[in-house]
Amino acid sequence: MNSSSTQFVTSGGMGMYDHMHQLSMWGESFKSNGSPHPLSSMLLPNTSPSLIITADMKLDNQSEDTSGTPGPLNKYDQEVTKSSEKIQRRLAQNREAARKSRLRKKGLYVASGVEASHVGFNGAVNSGIATFEAEYGHWLEEQQKHVSDLRAAVTSNISDGEMRVLVEASLNHYYELFRMKGAAAKADVFYVMSGLWKSSAERFFLWIGGFRPSELIKILRPKIEPLAEPQLQGICNLGQLCQQAEDALSQGMDRLQQTLAQSVADGQLGEASYSPQIDTAMEKLDGVVRFVRQADHLRKAALVQVSQILTPRQAARGLLVLGEYFERLRALSQVWATNTREPE
Amino acid sequence: MQEAIPYKTWLPHYTTTKQPLLNSDVLAAEVVSENAIIVFARRGCCMTHVLKRLLLCVGVNPPVFEVDDNEEDEARRVLKELQTVAGEEVQLPAVFIGGKLFGGLDRVMATHITGELVPILKQAGALWL
Repeated sequence: MNSSSTQFVTSGGMGMYDHMHQLSMWGESFKSNGSPHPLSSMLLPNTSPSLIITADMKLDNQSEDTSGTPGPLNKYDQEVTKSSEKIQRRLAQNREAARKSRLRKKGLYVASGVEASHVGFNGAVNSGIATFEAEYGHWLEEQQKHVSDLRAAVTSNISDGEMRVLVEASLNHYYELFRMKGAAAKADVFYVMSGLWKSSAERFFLWIGGFRPSELIKILRPKIEPLAEPQLQGICNLGQLCQQAEDALSQGMDRLQQTLAQSVADGQLGEASYSPQIDTAMEKLDGVVRFVRQADHLRKAALVQVSQILTPRQAARGLLVLGEYFERLRALSQVWATNTREPE
Repeated sequence: MQEAIPYKTWLPHYTTTKQPLLNSDVLAAEVVSENAIIVFARRGCCMTHVLKRLLLCVGVNPPVFEVDDNEEDEARRVLKELQTVAGEEVQLPAVFIGGKLFGGLDRVMATHITGELVPILKQAGALWL
């Protein structure tokens, strides 16, 4: 489905990564015995396709961001904690600089008013997708914050009211992603359908441009037990209802795919540079956009229901499990890429 | 299994001269009030397929009133009639339950997930048991 992905220079192509360095970063983030280390949360592999931190850049980070004078070890830890935000910003800047330099090398960087240029297969610039990718990078950074907040909250004694605020914030962050995807779908629906902004492991589980609600509910449930009977029933029931909705959407999607394939075979979609059938093409592609919107609508409805059925504390736990699940998938992609690629 | 009902079969006096029928403005209202649930849809619309399958899941096989986009005048007329019945602009596919506009796929899906759909259908007599 995403056969053209390799043509997009900013898409999640494996060739972008500095593998030797990724391996050392991975190792470092798990140095401490499994508990979150301030440095590790910053170095957690990022799915932003433009992530490439060469060994040089990393050294630059550390020498510039930790204090110039090397102090005793415990002081270093404090410095790191304080300056992790600075480091994150610097990493983001470095990512952007590296990405631009790669594009320049390939002769594809268009220094225009648009900050990021998403260059497509036919050389056309899709600023809608470029915008989405930039926003997604920020979204991921924000997401890490939400997940750490949730992690801290579930082991604390904060009130239900405070818990609810955190849960709402985390949910709204997901809704924000759906909104971003909606806009991106209008710019390039096939990009969204193929989940090109996601890591490869996430893409493996792709269903109409995102996660499958019933699947996540199945994964979530055992992790948030024990639940009271009505809640257990509610969650299981929700899983079933989602499954039904997903099936209906899948069947409709299959139909649409068939229709589209037929249109392409009949030469109806204006694949030639100009065709009077461009209206038909736009209509049919609009159908695909509607499906993506509908699937995201379902995802949102499922999340809303989960938060209604569960107590604030359970919901926080559930969202934490969800967030960590996706983090692990992204991490898996990185490790896999590192281990299967041959070193330069 | 119920077949889709093309618009034309509801107008036994329809001719190809495309002259508006005198009683055509009560037709959509009749159809809506005569059925506990009815779906108005564009022919070939894949969203309608989703809607039908979802309703089937809960045990309802609604009649589907198909609008043919190629017959522009007809299509426009039906939409206008529906707008009169609903009191607001109607987007297809549209579900009418108990004689009133219920909504499109968005609403059906949302109410399905929250479990509200089945009671609504039962109350309107679209679903028994």
